[in-house]
This record gives sequence, C-alpha cells and structure tokens, in this order.
Amino acid sequence: MNRKRALKADTFKTKKWKSGSVSLFRVQEIGASVAHEGPADIKASLEYLMSLFPRKLFNDTLPPVVLKHQLYSIQSDKTLVDRHLNELREQGEVLMFQLGFDSESIGVVFAADFKAKVLATEAGRETGSMEKFLSTVLPCCDISVDKKKMLKELLFTDSEITQLVKCGVLTVKDAGSWWLSIPNSGKFIKYFIQGRKAVLGMIRKSKYSEMLKSDLEERQPTSQVKFPIKYHIHDVVGAELVDCIQTTAGMLLRVVNS
Amino acid sequence: MLSFLFGRQTGLDDPLRLKQAESTRRVLCLELNPDRNVERIHGNGINTIDIEVIEGRYMLSGGADGVVVIYDLENHSRNLQYTCKAVCTVGRSSRHVHKFSVETVQWYPHDTGMFTSSSFDKTMKVWDTETLKATSFYFCCLLLLYNCTVHSVPLNHLHCLSSVGTKNPKVQLCDLKSGSCIQVLQGHRGEVLSVRWSPRYEHILATASTDSSVRLWDVRRASGSLFTLNQFNEDLSKSSSEAANTAHNGRVNGLCFTSDGLFLLTTGTDDRMRLWETATGANTLVNYGKVVNESRKGLKFAVSRGCSPDFAFVPCGSSVAVYAVHSGKLVTMLRGHYSNVDCCVFHPDYQELYSGGKDSNILAWVPTPRTPDTEEEQGSKKGGSQAALNPAFEDAWSSDED
Repeated sequence: MNRKRALKADTFKTKKWKSGSVSLFRVQEIGASVAHEGPADIKASLEYLMSLFPRKLFNDTLPPVVLKHQLYSIQSDKTLVDRHLNELREQGEVLMFQLGFDSESIGVVFAADFKAKVLATEAGRETGSMEKFLSTVLPCCDISVDKKKMLKELLFTDSEITQLVKCGVLTVKDAGSWWLSIPNSGKFIKYFIQGRKAVLGMIRKSKYSEMLKSDLEERQPTSQVKFPIKYHIHDVVGAELVDCIQTTAGMLLRVVNS
Repeated sequence: MLSFLFGRQTGLDDPLRLKQAESTRRVLCLELNPDRNVERIHGNGINTIDIEVIEGRYMLSGGADGVVVIYDLENHSRNLQYTCKAVCTVGRSSRHVHKFSVETVQWYPHDTGMFTSSSFDKTMKVWDTETLKATSFYFCCLLLLYNCTVHSVPLNHLHCLSSVGTKNPKVQLCDLKSGSCIQVLQGHRGEVLSVRWSPRYEHILATASTDSSVRLWDVRRASGSLFTLNQFNEDLSKSSSEAANTAHNGRVNGLCFTSDGLFLLTTGTDDRMRLWETATGANTLVNYGKVVNESRKGLKFAVSRGCSPDFAFVPCGSSVAVYAVHSGKLVTMLRGHYSNVDCCVFHPDYQELYSGGKDSNILAWVPTPRTPDTEEEQGSKKGGSQAALNPAFEDAWSSDED
C-alpha cells in the first residue's frame, strides 16, 4: 500500500530541484540523484559481502566469490543494482561468471583478486597462454566466449585453448563455445549448495516455517554449513527463496512454498 | 491535480500530460469493485479475453469448453451497480462451435463484424458476428493451435494476415481475404507458444517457443528471422549452435509489446520476465524479480496504454501482479480469483483491467472512485432545504388525498 501512495503522489507532484538540497524520503525513488553514487554503493556492498566469504576454508586458492542476487538483499532496487554492476564490469573492476548449478546464479569476483589467484595457481606451470587469456579475453567477453572469436580475433591456438580448459578458466558450454569460470570453484559450489539447503531446512523446521532473522543469526549452524550464516541469509533472501516480512520484532524470514 | 488543469488551460503544459497523470493515478488504485461484475456464462475456465479496439465496448471471451461469449461493457443503466451482460454466445449446441478448448480469440481490428478464434481442435475459425457462423482454416499438419494473432492495430495499408503458432515449430501465416495459408516461417526448434504482431511496424512479428528462444521476423523477408533475443547480450557467431541463444532459461510462454512497439516483454518458465528493445534485440536488464510462471501453454498478459510509467499486468498463480515496466518494481498484487488466472486485458479508455481464470469468472478491476470532499458534503447538508430526509423518517403512505 505504501508503494502505491508514494507513486500516486509522484505523478501529481512536480518535483522542484533546489541546488544543494535533496528531499529526504524521495532519495530512493529518484534514481538520478544517486546515479553517480550508485556504482560506489554497489562496490561497498560487494566489499562487505566479500568480507563474509571464508578464505581459510579453501586454503586461499579461491578468490572471494559473491553471488549477484546477494546484492538484492542489501539494495532494494534490483534494476539499478544490475545496471551498476554492468557498469563496474565494463570498467573492468568486476568479473561475472555463470556458476553452473542454477541457471540464474551468477557469481561476482573482483578482477584484481581473480587475476592474482589465477596467476598464483599457475606459478608452477607454463603461464604464457594464461597471461594472454587474462589480457585479451577478459576485457571483451562477458560471460561466455565462442570458438570463432578465440581462434580468429584473439589468435589462440587449439592447444592453448585445451590448456585453458585444463586449468579451469574455461568450461564447455556447447559444441563451439565456453563459459568463463573460476578455477577450483567445484568445492565452493558443493559447500554452497549444502549450506543453502541446511539453512533453508533450519527455517523450515521451525514452527510455521518462519524465523526472525536475528534468531537465525544466533543459532548454532550444523556442520553442513561451512560458510558464515550471514552469507547464506543474504543468498536466500536475494534469491527470493524466503519472504522477508517486517515485524515489530525485526525482520521475519518465511520459506516460500512452491 | 488543479495545477495540472490550470497548466493545460493556460497552455503551459502539453495536453497529454494531464491525461497521462490522471491515467496513471487511476491505474495505481485498481481494485475489485462490488458494483461491477461480468455475467458468468462459462462453465469451465476462461482462456482468453479480447476487447475491441474501435469503441472499447464489446469484449470477447473464449473458454476451455469451446464456448465463445461476447459481452457488452458499457453501462447504459443509470445505476452504479452494473453487470456486463452477454450479448450473444456460441454455445455447445451451435453447429460451428469448436470441439475442444478455445485458446485465442481476437476481434477483427477494423470493426466488430468479424472475429477469429483458434483452438485445440486444430482449427482456426473466422466468425461473422451477426450470424455467428464460421469458416474454418484447417491445418494440414493437424497439430494443436496455441495462439493466433491478427494484426491488431487499424492501419491503412494493413495486410490481413493472421499468424498462427502451433505445436509444429513452423509459424504459419494465413491470409484472411483469400482464406489460405500463404507463408511459413521456419527457424524455431520447438512448439511455438506465443505470437504477436508489433503495433508499430505492420510487418514485424515476434514469436516465442519452448526451445527457450524468441525470434523477431519481418514477414516480407524470404530468409529466416531478423534476430533471436539473447539474454546475455552476447554476440554469438553463426558457427556456435543455435541452442546457445536463449532468451530465457526455460520455455518462453508469454509475449507482449508495449503500446508504442519499442519494447517487448517476455515471460518464461524460469520465473523471469525480461524487457527487450525491439530495434536492436538488446536486453534492457530490467529486473522484475521472481515472476511465478507455471503455465504449460501461453500466458496472456497486458501492458497499460497512455500512462506515464507504463504498467505490466501479469497473471501469477491466482493473482495478477502489476509491475512498472521500465523500473521493474512490483506495484501491487491484485487478489480476487479463486484459481489460476489465465489471461488479462487492459481497457485503455477507462483504465480498467479484466482478468479471466480457471474459476470461470471474469473479474473487472476498476479504479476506486474519488471520495467526495468532506467540505462539500457538509455544505450541501446545511444549505439545501430539500436535503434528503433520513429514510427512517420517510413515511410509507402516499401523500395524495385520494
């Protein structure tokens, strides 16, 4: 109901722009005023989420990975989040990967972290093709790359492509195209899916399949859950697997029955 | 509101601005009104509704039992309480009735003398409204018809082509004047669940299919589709297989152009709705969140016309979700049906929404009337000496001496 009244008031009110002052409760509605701050906001949220990622668990072989929909649980406007994330990707600060377990889940990694980890894991072996990959493929392809482009435009040879697939940076998508991927991400995906299932199970087991967010954060997670529980809460809220309901006692999470 | 009226009067504002502001306000307060309902004729679920373009007075509906009903939407009685009556019905007893469920009905765009209907009995029928007789197009591939659309914008140099999407991956174009199928569009690899003509260019057609792709065609071209919509905005070369080009991660079952024809909305069984630019096929990356979609056949949804932020009305389960098209926000969920909602259609002149579902009801969502100002009420009570008496004090016998 609040949403409708706010939009109704918007259509009839002419917004007067005074220099230097922005009306208080309209800031979220007016994308223009926060447009220049948008990417910075997203970056700050990304950094916060990256801090929740457990590096020790993977012995530092994996750069911190965050899922795109976790950002939706922090910022309310999904379209703006998507657009700003795209801007960051075009600037080369952030990389997006199709994680593979769910067609909608896209993982986000800081480009600097990714490059560092990839070069570190390749330190022992021959790194020629990897460096070429990092400098040419990453800036121009977003989520997948196809054979013609690799061979003709970027001048990779077949053996170099095979090497990249072996290292784990490319994963087969189709007969002539590949997804970009994070090497050694198999373990991450396994723990992630396990943890998500366990957290949803915890909420489902409680009475009426709902739980206060603060209660959930304090609960002792089972051994299945390897990541900090806040990481999973952001994931489950952003992917709309639970409904968020504001109550007088705080945020309530209720599992969506499908 | 008064400032808008003043602006229009003095010429400060474009006349369209007042219309758009008021239309938007009306759409934002849509709700079920106890004073308005639609007569219940169908015995089974309602699959499709269409309102004619010329006057916006007559509404067609097609049901799962093959019955087609025409309703009169205008209120000529002086009462506030109004039921939209059925003007005529093509019932089960009619000789020309469809044998199985009717999937799409559509008025002929130039006048209400004719309408078309397509059904699961593998025929598309063209009906004469006066006599309710039909001629049928039989499809030699003898497959289920999911969707047929006639170009719905009355333009001068209009072709009378009707496009039909069937279980066959080929899209067929039928000419209503000559009565035969004149063209076949090849390119899809799965059943074609939804077809739509663009309201802006009369030769552009969009088709959606179970192979997760959406194609845009120019029917004047002999070779294949113009392009396929790709959700990642990738530049896929021709050497990679076509399976890589997906608009959705599941079946695509709903298509709707915005009223200016510049954008196309698609919904798929991956619970997502996407907005595309028709000129380039680029994904505008507007995120609507999870749009629950479990429909096995085509989903018919509507986009508002004439409002300043346009709204999309999408049936989700047993309610209709209203989204702002360009920002992706969910405005509200219209709840009222008892079972799944299959189709909805927007009446642009009165900003009303009609939705039909499996509970065999058509519900009319009407903008809430403005409450009268409290000042005016008190004024009229004090002022008029002939103010209405409280009905409890009115006497029941006649005042005549006789």
